[in-house]
Parts: sequence; structure tokens; C-alpha cells
Amino acid sequence: MKRRLFVASSVAAALAGCAKATNAINDWQPIHPILDTAESLDYAIIGTHGSAQLYAPSDITENFPTNGLPTPHQSEYLSYLQDNFASYRLPVTGLVDHPQHFTLAQLRALVSLDEITRHDCVEGWSVVGRWRGVQLSSLLRLVRPQREARYVVFRSFDVDDSGTPFYGSIDLQQAAHPQTQLALDLNGKPIDDAHGAPVRLRIPTQLAYKSTKWVKSIEVVSTFAHIFGGKGGYWEDNGYAWYAGI
Amino acid sequence: MDAAAGSVPTKAASDTRAPGRVVKRHSIVTRVTHWATFLAILVLVMSGLQIFNAAPYLDASDKSDPAHRVLSIDNRDTATGSVGVTTIFGHSFTTTHFLGYTDDGQGVGGETTRAFPGWITFPGYQDLAGGRHWHFFFAWIMLIAGALYLGFGALGRELPLLILRPSDLPKLWPMQAYYLRLRKEPPDHGKYNPLQKAGYTAVLFVLTPFVILTGLALAPGFDAVAHPLLWVLGGRQFARTWHFVATLAFIGFFFGHVFLVLATGFFNNMRSMILGTYRLGEHEGTGP
Repeated sequence: MKRRLFVASSVAAALAGCAKATNAINDWQPIHPILDTAESLDYAIIGTHGSAQLYAPSDITENFPTNGLPTPHQSEYLSYLQDNFASYRLPVTGLVDHPQHFTLAQLRALVSLDEITRHDCVEGWSVVGRWRGVQLSSLLRLVRPQREARYVVFRSFDVDDSGTPFYGSIDLQQAAHPQTQLALDLNGKPIDDAHGAPVRLRIPTQLAYKSTKWVKSIEVVSTFAHIFGGKGGYWEDNGYAWYAGI
Repeated sequence: MDAAAGSVPTKAASDTRAPGRVVKRHSIVTRVTHWATFLAILVLVMSGLQIFNAAPYLDASDKSDPAHRVLSIDNRDTATGSVGVTTIFGHSFTTTHFLGYTDDGQGVGGETTRAFPGWITFPGYQDLAGGRHWHFFFAWIMLIAGALYLGFGALGRELPLLILRPSDLPKLWPMQAYYLRLRKEPPDHGKYNPLQKAGYTAVLFVLTPFVILTGLALAPGFDAVAHPLLWVLGGRQFARTWHFVATLAFIGFFFGHVFLVLATGFFNNMRSMILGTYRLGEHEGTGP
């Protein structure tokens, strides 16, 4: 028995060593810029083409799940929630000719998209939902992005436990994609607080971590290097790829 | 069968197929792409299991649907602590230490609620973002190595020798019988024997395209231009299941391949895939 225990513990030690080795390789920072070259290739090859598949009402997932950061609990957001977002204004600013602040009623008047699409999480799961909202391209046409504009940055009401605000970004090609929308309704009802009320981004051609919830402001920029971690988003600053079409 | 053992030449030195003669067997392109592919598959499998751990279940449906679940690796709290529970087609097994409640990947022997153990994932600790970077980088390495191998192989002599042809089909059983020692002589063949041709042709032209397509089908950006592919595979979650099945097939191929490398003269085989030279046995191509 003693020998068996010795063999078993040796095997366990050797196996634990495997994790040690792969952890050390992953922790070696100079390797990561090399790995990131694959992201550029993925973007170059897959990019922003085609259109996400449309589904039938019978495909809709009941009890649409929530994931990622919890619902914002800051007083600013809670007060909006209390007055049902009557005082909410969505600023669309930055490198645009006509910066504007939109009320929820104004956004509702611009609703142009109502699609049932699949929502793919980076974790691997998929759900199907009906999203109704404003095509981002039609909103951007109203504010007129300037020549040097390249990205659209979405700031969220949400803040993580360490106080870091949530944000995300997409490029103008993705913003111009006809299925990229500022969603106001999910499955026939105004989006509730858990799912990103009052407005969330919805990009069916990329993984869902790009679809910023609880949108507080929209800014058109030429670079996002100066914003928070500089990688273009909360998840990107935490190691995830900026291009999430794969 | 062990070529190295039969090192005394029994035929005239002018006979290029004489046993014991050392011949050039694998080109530099074959050797470099072989080891690049080996490294790529190793990292792809390990980082793939890291990615799997973020959603440790597989469905035979388009969207996630517990009603179509074929595999789930979960854990359950009991009076004596957490246990790993793996469910395959509705049948549950306790798999503590191996699946569900396993090595936490911190490298000090601790355990936690985790589908695949840390020693088999890349990296060891839970890191979906890191696993994805490694996975997508080495997917390109495998693709490029495969393209180089096929490209140079098609230009040179290699590929025609490797591809299974209809004329090889009647020789498959005699070759198997030879391996099982039911037959003294293998059927006549070239550099690769009929079973090798069948195996490599299946891996190169069936399994590899399949693993690439099922992987791409998981990408929402690719799905946007490939609706029919997703339809054929049965949807995105089904594609994830197929991708996992393809991984198991690669692992199966790997063990079969290594077994044959060991069984037919390990050092001679390794030399041929590192230095390129191979000492002929009684029969050409009875190697791995």
C-alpha cells in the first residue's frame, strides 16, 4: 500500500508540474505580442462580412441568461432606474459634426431593426433572442462622424468590484454593419436592468462580450489608446482579444 | 520488422532496397512540418480543454439546450466534500480527481471544481482569454505547416506515395494480417504501406478539414458568411460537439501513431523524422 501511495503521489507531483510549466509559459509576457499576431490574421480573413443568421420565434430561449458583470448598483444608475429612465440622455459625441444627446423617446422614434438572432458567449454557450432597436449606422448618420473617425467607444454605467468602469469599442466597419444595433427591447419587452437597460449594444456577428450593456455614452474616436487600459474595452484590458468575430 | 536489428546487409550493396542500408527517408520540409504540427496539436488540445472548461458541457443543438445535452462535466457537494460528476448521454459517473473536481492548475497539487484538470489544460490555471490566444495562434501554425507539407508534397514525390488509392484497398486486410502475425509477408507496397496510407489520408484529408471547419463554425463572424456549414453541422453548439469529437479522433490517432513508432523501431523512426535517414528493414515502409 505504501508503495502504491508513493507512486500515486509521484504521479500527482509530476502532473502538478505540467500546470507549473504551462503557467510559466503563459506568464512569460514577451510571448503574448507574438500570439496576438493571430488576432490580426483572424480579423483580416474573417473580418466583418455577411450577416448573422435569422431565427424563428419558436427558437427564442426562455429565461434569457445574464453573464459578465452584475447589474450596476451605483446611485446614478439606480436613480435612472427609479424614474424609468425619464431623465436619461444618451450623449453621442467625439469626432462628429453634430454631437447630440438622445432621450429614450427620441431613440424609440428611431427604432428600425427587429431581429431574432443568436447570442454567442465567449464561454461557449449560445442563446437566441429577439432584439429590437436602433441601427447604429442610422444613429451615426445623424451625428456625422468626421474623416479621422475610426472607432466608436461605448461607456457603461457598470463598474466592477475594484471600481474600474466597463467600456467597449468597435470600428466603423462593425458600426456600419446593418445588424449592429442599440437594442431597446429584448423578447418583446423593454430591456430590464439585468440585461442592460435602458440601452445595450447588440452585435450578432461578434461574441457577446463586445455588446456593451447599460450604455451611458457613445464617443467617436480616432484611437482608444488613451482610454483606461488602452486595449479598447474592459474585457480587452483583461486579456481578451479586441476582435471577437472568432 | 525492427529495421535496426537487421543491420547486416544480406543483399548486394548495389540493391537500394537491401535491408540494413541507410536511406534518406524524410525531406527537411516533412520533418520540420511534422514537428511543428505535433507541437501545434499538443497546444491546441490543451488550450482547447482550457476553453471547454469555461462551459463544460456539449449539446447536439444550435443554441444551448439541456434537453440535447450529450456531455456535461459537473460537480456536486456531498457530506464528505465535492465530487466530480460526468454525465454522458444521460448516464452519470463519479469522476472526482479526473473530471469535475480536479487539479486546480496552480501547480501545488490542490483540487477544485474544474472540468478538465489543470495538468492537461494550457495554461494550467483557469484562463479563458489566455487559452483562446494560444488556441488561435497554434491553429495558424497547424494550418501553415499543413499547407507547406501539402504544397511541397504535391510538387515532389511525397504526396503521391502517401495518398490511398483504389488499388490499395484489397491490400488493407493482408497488411493488417501481417501486423497481426497472421501472414509472413506484407503485400507489395511503396514507401508507405496500405494501412499507413489509409491512416494518413484520413487524417490529412478528412479529419483535419473537419476539425478546421467545426472550429470555424464556432466563430460568429465566420457563421455570418457560412450559414449552410452550420446547417450541415446541426448548429453552433452541435459544431462545438463535433469539434470535441474531432479532438478525440486526433488523440486516438496520436496514440496509435506513437504505438507504431515504438513497435517498429523507435530509434530508427525517430532518426528518420529528425535527421531524415532511416535504416531499411526486411520490408520497406513497415514503420509507423
